[in-house]
Amino acid sequence: MSSVAESSPLSARRHSRGFGALRWSLRGMRRDLRAADVRALFVALALAVAASTMIGFFLDRLERGLERQAGQLLGGDLALEQGRPFDDALRQLLEENDLTVSEQIGMVSMVSVDDAFQPASLKVVDDRYPLYGEVHLDAGEGLELVAHGPSPGEAWLAPRLAQLLEVAPGDSVRVGDVELLVSGLIEREPDQSGGFANFNPRLMMHQADAEASGLVQPGSRIEFSLLARGSPAAVDTVTPQLRELTAEGVEIRDVRRDRPQLGNALARAEQYLSLAGLAAVLLAGVAVAMATRRYVDRHLDTAALLRCFGATQRQLTRLFALQLLWLALAASVVGALLGLAGQAGLLWLLTAFLPIELPPPGPLPLLLGVLTALAVLAGFAGPTLLRLKRVSALKVLRRELDPLPASAWLVVVVASLVFGGLLWLYSGDPQLAFGLLLGGLIMLVVLWGLGALLLGVVLRLATRLPQGGAKRQALRLGAQQLARRRSASLGQLLAFSVTFAAMAMIALVRGDLLTTWQDQLPEDTPNYFAINIQPGERDAFIDTLDDAVDERTTLYPMVRGRISAINDQPPRDAVPADARSDGSLRRELNLTWRETLPDGNRLVAGQWFDAGPGVTEGRVPISVEDGLAERLGLSLGDTMTFSIGSDEIVGELTSLRNLDWDSFRPNFFVIFPPEVLERYGHSYITAFHLDRERDDISRALVREFPGVSLLNVEAILGQVRELLTQVTRAVEFVLGFVLLAGVSVLYAALTASRPTRAHESGLLRVFGAGDRLISRVQGAEFAILGFASGLMGALLAELAAAGVYLAWFDLAPRIHWGLWLTLPLGGALLIGVIGHALSRSVRRQTPMQSLGLLGEA
Amino acid sequence: MGKQVTSGDKPLTILSDLDLDVFPGETLAILGASGAGKSTLLGLLAALDQPTSGELSLFGEPLANLDEDGRAQLRAGRVGFVFQNFQLLPTLTALENVLLPLELAPLTDSEQRGRDWLTRVGLGERLSHLPKQLSGGEQQRVAVARAFVTDPQLVFADEPTGNLDPATGKRIIDLLFALNREAGTTLVLVTHDHALARRCDRCLRLDGGQLEPLLLEEVEA
Repeated sequence: MSSVAESSPLSARRHSRGFGALRWSLRGMRRDLRAADVRALFVALALAVAASTMIGFFLDRLERGLERQAGQLLGGDLALEQGRPFDDALRQLLEENDLTVSEQIGMVSMVSVDDAFQPASLKVVDDRYPLYGEVHLDAGEGLELVAHGPSPGEAWLAPRLAQLLEVAPGDSVRVGDVELLVSGLIEREPDQSGGFANFNPRLMMHQADAEASGLVQPGSRIEFSLLARGSPAAVDTVTPQLRELTAEGVEIRDVRRDRPQLGNALARAEQYLSLAGLAAVLLAGVAVAMATRRYVDRHLDTAALLRCFGATQRQLTRLFALQLLWLALAASVVGALLGLAGQAGLLWLLTAFLPIELPPPGPLPLLLGVLTALAVLAGFAGPTLLRLKRVSALKVLRRELDPLPASAWLVVVVASLVFGGLLWLYSGDPQLAFGLLLGGLIMLVVLWGLGALLLGVVLRLATRLPQGGAKRQALRLGAQQLARRRSASLGQLLAFSVTFAAMAMIALVRGDLLTTWQDQLPEDTPNYFAINIQPGERDAFIDTLDDAVDERTTLYPMVRGRISAINDQPPRDAVPADARSDGSLRRELNLTWRETLPDGNRLVAGQWFDAGPGVTEGRVPISVEDGLAERLGLSLGDTMTFSIGSDEIVGELTSLRNLDWDSFRPNFFVIFPPEVLERYGHSYITAFHLDRERDDISRALVREFPGVSLLNVEAILGQVRELLTQVTRAVEFVLGFVLLAGVSVLYAALTASRPTRAHESGLLRVFGAGDRLISRVQGAEFAILGFASGLMGALLAELAAAGVYLAWFDLAPRIHWGLWLTLPLGGALLIGVIGHALSRSVRRQTPMQSLGLLGEA
Repeated sequence: MGKQVTSGDKPLTILSDLDLDVFPGETLAILGASGAGKSTLLGLLAALDQPTSGELSLFGEPLANLDEDGRAQLRAGRVGFVFQNFQLLPTLTALENVLLPLELAPLTDSEQRGRDWLTRVGLGERLSHLPKQLSGGEQQRVAVARAFVTDPQLVFADEPTGNLDPATGKRIIDLLFALNREAGTTLVLVTHDHALARRCDRCLRLDGGQLEPLLLEEVEA
């Protein structure tokens, strides 16, 4: 039995006031800011916060901007439509909920001047029109923007109507029983909704004249709209109360359905930004993990000493966790400021698109940013940090007694779980988060094996390099050093691969998104629609047009029919409750017939007419758009009865089609096989592209085919293109940010490996290596590392991009051959140059300094 | 008490059947050649490590009942250390290094105590210097101040002069013993410096894993 100082009278003297971890951690962190690894941690965390807050703030504000934009196209934040006047109770309900309400009436009527008559699409507005945006009006003194409608007694005309009626501002036109003074020509309306029901040229007039005109009669085909503008909160409050109205035949309009081009592009841009934000967070996480290793190495002595002086594991954990918490909080403040500046930059890029009065940034993205920093710290640094508490006090006597490093798998699993959680939080889609995470983990295992294999190959190749030659010597030594530090090199290889892959993927997705957007609206996207082409005019129309357009013009026959039954039941009884007010049940549908599947349509179920059954038991095979079928709850084999004129035709769903509503081409919900509809009265519709300078053709068409309605959609097309351009710039801005996060990983990783490299170059110098050789060896080592990381990064990026395309963007994956060249070569160059430059201070040290550097700050 | 470790496949006995009592207030030197196991013994006595056989108690508390955290708490504020390689934290100033043990066992006037102790070891003017700005002797003085700042009952010194030139080493030893006398602390030091050992009340030699008493007269100068 051995005993030490057994009978001390002082043994009970010691008071325990507790460990001053809070104060000490604060002081410790302030001191630590001098250390490169802490600076790397700080930068990485600040970038994670900046990325998430920037994108959070931005998306938050963009969401509101989109609502306004949508509101402008729709005419309000909410648009209710029905075939009869709205009662006052509904108007009151909206107004009580702080919504500004404006009423509109839409109908088709004849407008006349003397003996000349023209059908026009009438829009009757009140004093509150427009709730959003301005009318581009030519009142005879050039184009001006006005935020009101015509005054009572006045009418504004579309230029085409004025041309057809041969009137100008100052003349009069007759609408029903009233005579209105033409006081302006409408170049552009803020609310362009109404689709192709408004093929007739526009005449806008004041509500006060509508009654006098005698046009608003019970039974006439009139669409009444109630438009409301207000805060999202106010809209949210009334929406549930309005939902019941849909069962009564009121349609609540939604911009995404009405203008899918805008919706899709923005939805994808938002997804891109979220993805880029996550990539930046992932990269910052990798940087945190790399920097933490060095941080822990550097603090092992402190931990051992504290342990020696009586610190418990709990106290050590608290101390270092608190130190890093301060760091994370400080980084959050800096990151949030950066994020604020970044979102301001993004908004600046999108100024032309977003309305000026955006709400100020809310606190939620900020909270999310801080939460992200803490999560990244806990997930990517946590397991490595635990090593500090496992340090033995005996290390003060025996330096070699370092605790085992945290298991690489534990680090990966914890980091993955945390990142998976963030994925879930940001995407709101647990399935996607889980899928990405699982895929990521599998990839990591594959990369791990691949990396080990690659390092083995590098070493083998290096030893086989023939002797002699300074470059070969440097290459051999560099490769040997890399292969000797197998586990550290493998870690760096993985970190760099993931970094390159994330950077490449964000760049790839950007490129593919832009290409898709450009493909979506190529230069020759149709900018004119022509409808109401009579069968007798068909050939002449094609001849006139064929001189001016490249593509052979396709004319689609169009027969109007109403759905009178679904599966032999009244339509409203046969469809789900929320589809009862669907436009397809309230209006006549444009039906067409075709032998072949139209361009841009894709069969998703069933068979096309040539392969399927013909007319059986009086049922005609029909092809229906899959979105409509889904809304109405229809599947293959169901029947739809159409009333066309006085006839009824029963169609059986034999195929479902997916089609691109963004295509600016005629699209049809229902297509019949040939030889069914020909006997009914029909007209033709077509879409074509006319260059701006070919105005003569459009004028000729209007002149030669007065009955044909020609609709110029150039303005809408321009709006969509402008939006895409701006979103593209925003996407590029965010890409730059992700690249910055990538550089932070390089910085952290190179900082972490600095002492080891210093030690190695010190040893080489002791053995007689000169500056040139050491510089070359380090350059070679970094270049090999960069090359190998680039190869693995290319593989990872291809797979990840393919996964993201399929799961997120609905794009077809493709192989990017350029990547396999750019990433390895670019990686070798990037890591080679940055690594070499960052190691300059190491090379300047004397061997004494280099060899003593290990384990110190 | 004994200590065995496994080296390769074979067990290696470093210490065997030691029987040792260290009494309050005494100064004890443990002499031994390099590799004799002096530091292992010091680690065991200071409860930094556990014996593989036998029993060991510190301040009357059997260590077998305590886990590593329990042993750490037993040391807190009651044990001071002086190491051969000083073990100062490079990013902490002289004063902060001295205050380190007080963070774990705070006293009411910690900061003032730190200043006082640094003044007593002759470094009152170098409070805010970092270790790399101090000479070897000065660094060891900081370490000595750090060992005494908590009013410990027991101070362990592991080759305290091992990294110093003889003249500096002597000044450190003078200081160590003077402070020890003033504070009435128990001092256990392991060394191969005979001159240092001769200044202790009692001297033991560690050889072949065994301790044998050594008369002070037998310790060669």
